[in-house]
Amino acid sequence: MNIELYLQSGVVESYALGLATPQEADEFEQLMPHYPELKEALRDFEYHLELFSIDNEVPPPAEVRNRIEDKLRELPAIPGARQWGTRRDRTDYVAAKETSQYIRVHKVWRTLFIAVFVLAKIFLILAIYYFIAYRHAIRK
Amino acid sequence: MEKAITKDLLKTELYSDGRPAGEMLYSRYGGMLYSYILQFVPESEAGTLLVDIFARLTPQLKEAFDSSLSVYCWLQIESRKIILEHLRSRGRLGAGANPGRGANVAATYFSLLEDAPPEHQWVFRELFLYGKSKEELALQSGRDLGYVSQLLRECLGMIRKNLG
Repeated sequence: MNIELYLQSGVVESYALGLATPQEADEFEQLMPHYPELKEALRDFEYHLELFSIDNEVPPPAEVRNRIEDKLRELPAIPGARQWGTRRDRTDYVAAKETSQYIRVHKVWRTLFIAVFVLAKIFLILAIYYFIAYRHAIRK
Repeated sequence: MEKAITKDLLKTELYSDGRPAGEMLYSRYGGMLYSYILQFVPESEAGTLLVDIFARLTPQLKEAFDSSLSVYCWLQIESRKIILEHLRSRGRLGAGANPGRGANVAATYFSLLEDAPPEHQWVFRELFLYGKSKEELALQSGRDLGYVSQLLRECLGMIRKNLG
């Protein structure tokens, strides 16, 4: 099959815009797994179409949001997804994936760390001093 | 400017973020679909149609995830079916009908065809806005089916080119 010719027939655009006949759509779906070029062309077209639509979006009237919310409340919930307009229960939690490389600790640890650091230095200096003093005493 | 998002990302957000599915879809696609609907119907009807579209399509989201199309394209195609059904039930499909702002709107698919010859624009309008098949159009206009297909192919090529 000449894929270049097939792509030039506008099948990708027809399929993405919903203008393909059921036969054309079936054929395209059957060919897609065998020809990566088709999938790539479809992704590329969809991507540009979505960007175009984002650039040209028109905000719907304010009351539309509430009307959709009311309508969706009447419908059964989508399995696994939260229903619009329901309050979060106390027992609910959102799984958060930790990506930061930093940790946050209480401020008191800063003072403690400085104190431990200073004490460690003092002990080190004392250890060196007593070591030298001990060496002098041995020599004498 | 927002970026187009992948289906996997949307799916992950939808099922793990804890936000209501309808709310997430609306925030993401509400404005885009409203603009899409305005190509077919006037503003006085577009709001009601958007409500109907969200109420009908939100419960069918699994189909969008299973489809070979992106979520946005799936939403557009399914929305178009609902819009055409709405127009058909009111006897407002066909030449001479006033489907919406259509070709007069700068930010629609027709803006991508503004340099196309009138005959090309006519073919795209009849197929896209009025939901006619190529065969119907060829029969009604007395033109050859191959010719109609060729004009549509050229329109789609122009749309792809002008999208970038």
